[in-house]
Amino acid sequence: MRRLSLSSRLALLFAACTAVVSLVAGVLFSRASEAHFVELDQQLLDGKLMALRRALPDLQSSGSEVRLADELSRQADVSLRITGNDGQRWFDSSTRLPDRLPQTPGLSTISHDGTDYRVLNAPLSVDRPGSPQLTLLLDITHHQHFLQRMQRLIWLTVGLSALATALLGAWAARSGLRPLRRMSAVARGVSAQSLNARLPAEDMPPELAEMAHHFNAMLGRLDDSFQRLSAFSADIAHELRTPLSNLLTHTQVTLTRPRPLEDYREALHSNLEELQWMAQLVNDMLYLAKADHGLLAPRRESLELAEEADVLLEFFAPLAEDARVTVSRHGSARIDGDRSMLRRALSNLLDNALRFTPAGGEIRVRITDQAKGLTLTVENSGAGIDAAMLPRLFDRFYRADPARQEGSSEHAGLGLAITESIVRAHGGRIHCESEQGWTRFVITLPRMD
Amino acid sequence: MKLLIVEDQAKTGHYLRQGLAEAGFNTELVADGSTGQQLALSGDYALLILDVMLPGRDGWQILQAVRSAGLDTPVLFLTARDAVEDRVHGLELGADDYLVKPFAFSELLARVRSLLRRGSAQPQETSLQLADLRLDLIRRRVERNGQRIDLTAKEFSLLEMLLRRQGEVLPKSLIASQVWDMNFDSDTNVIEVAIRRLRLKIDDEFPNKLIHTVRGMGYVLEERPA
Repeated sequence: MRRLSLSSRLALLFAACTAVVSLVAGVLFSRASEAHFVELDQQLLDGKLMALRRALPDLQSSGSEVRLADELSRQADVSLRITGNDGQRWFDSSTRLPDRLPQTPGLSTISHDGTDYRVLNAPLSVDRPGSPQLTLLLDITHHQHFLQRMQRLIWLTVGLSALATALLGAWAARSGLRPLRRMSAVARGVSAQSLNARLPAEDMPPELAEMAHHFNAMLGRLDDSFQRLSAFSADIAHELRTPLSNLLTHTQVTLTRPRPLEDYREALHSNLEELQWMAQLVNDMLYLAKADHGLLAPRRESLELAEEADVLLEFFAPLAEDARVTVSRHGSARIDGDRSMLRRALSNLLDNALRFTPAGGEIRVRITDQAKGLTLTVENSGAGIDAAMLPRLFDRFYRADPARQEGSSEHAGLGLAITESIVRAHGGRIHCESEQGWTRFVITLPRMD
Repeated sequence: MKLLIVEDQAKTGHYLRQGLAEAGFNTELVADGSTGQQLALSGDYALLILDVMLPGRDGWQILQAVRSAGLDTPVLFLTARDAVEDRVHGLELGADDYLVKPFAFSELLARVRSLLRRGSAQPQETSLQLADLRLDLIRRRVERNGQRIDLTAKEFSLLEMLLRRQGEVLPKSLIASQVWDMNFDSDTNVIEVAIRRLRLKIDDEFPNKLIHTVRGMGYVLEERPA
């Protein structure tokens, strides 16, 4: 089944609401006017009854027929039947009166021969038992016609107002939903080349302003990622250009003339080094690409972070001893995570710290267990990092040391980016701070339950 | 002992065969999956090296056919893709090891040797020896020329690995994985430093050096004529 559009849905709802409201109002009004007519008729018949009773104190007295006729002639739509207490019909003011009339005392309504009557039964004299029974009939056909006309009018009003509100509602809904259409127009216009399009959130109604805000934020994030990605592709080409150019030049130069065997061997070794660097770069980039595609799915095994840190410190111990750097670990915490991935993340941080700690310096790994999660800090003494560089440290190919030339070092500048990807894949965050001769990488990991 | 290489890329296949042949293995190379499967099912091979993407039948299909025929020939997969599912899929089907391109030949060679060794029963050794270097596995002691040498636990493990696989070029990644359980690509020079420190204790005082660097490939423990 095809879904109704939001506008049609709103229009139909409006129409239904109006129909219900006008129907209720119409029914109430028609009831009230009917009751009002009954009341009027009662008053009229009561008055007539009193006049009749006055006019006919005694049916036997002479001249009563004349008075009766006189009394009845004053109101053409009132008829009278007088019945004796033995049930015998004494008098009918009109020949068209129905034979059978309700005998119940008080007011009732009957229909006969296309004519509607209001009927009032009362004894001629209240005091005397066995008094003849008066039955007053009031022709109310025109009232009933009026009521029927009004009911038709009510139905017509219900129908027309429903239709009108449906149309008005459709128009109102359409104009009310205009901001949504504007959103969809912006969304339609978004492509890789125009990620800078934004919705005017301040022009939006409050209900949509938040959505517009989120929409803009999403576009912002996309734009940012896309910029990074484009920069990344450009960086890759740039990073690969130097080793490729080395390989080309070296190989061609080697081949230009015959050389001693040792020279060939040397050329191949040199090429091998460039190639290994490139292979490492490609593998790291594939790892990051996998992370970008959310394919870095960490296994969840229960790990004691202190043990993992100790294993890594032991791994790096020869390097640290050579560099005359003291390493230590403080604190412990358990976490559910991927051993190999977390080791890789921590290894990159330690490797980084070792490269920037001067001889005689210190590297500390701190693990703090907290209710919400845990923090893992790797801090090293040293010159520190310029605050302006801190946010860019995790960018791919970013090197804090400008003296490092691409391709010339064994580090491609992807280590911290990989660490960040691993931390993110575990639902955590990483940031770097640098103050008073200490550089500190802080990883916060949420507790997984 | 014959190895079967099923690899459709001519250059890769050629270099693999040349490299393995020069390392002393008798190898056969085919370029399409169907022929590869026929040969693999003959059961004449000690090890299969399969590319995943192949014309005819892919590496996984060959592996499945081999396993359902009841053969337990070790299988090493080569692939250009490193999706987690691929790895899991391959290992579920009964692959023994997995190498993602680009890989170093020294890495492949080391893994091939590991797989071939896995099949044959290892005698339970109590000591390992090369020239005048002796490693006592029970008392965890190392002597060279009768002279006791003190090693740290990790240095001992490193030397044990070198001795067990003497004559083989061991890539740094394999050493990191086997000795320190670091199973990831790392561009750190920890292994170089660790080897240098081991050399200082094992080789420096002695005229015939046992630990050798194979430039760009790894390290080897062997006795070389002076």
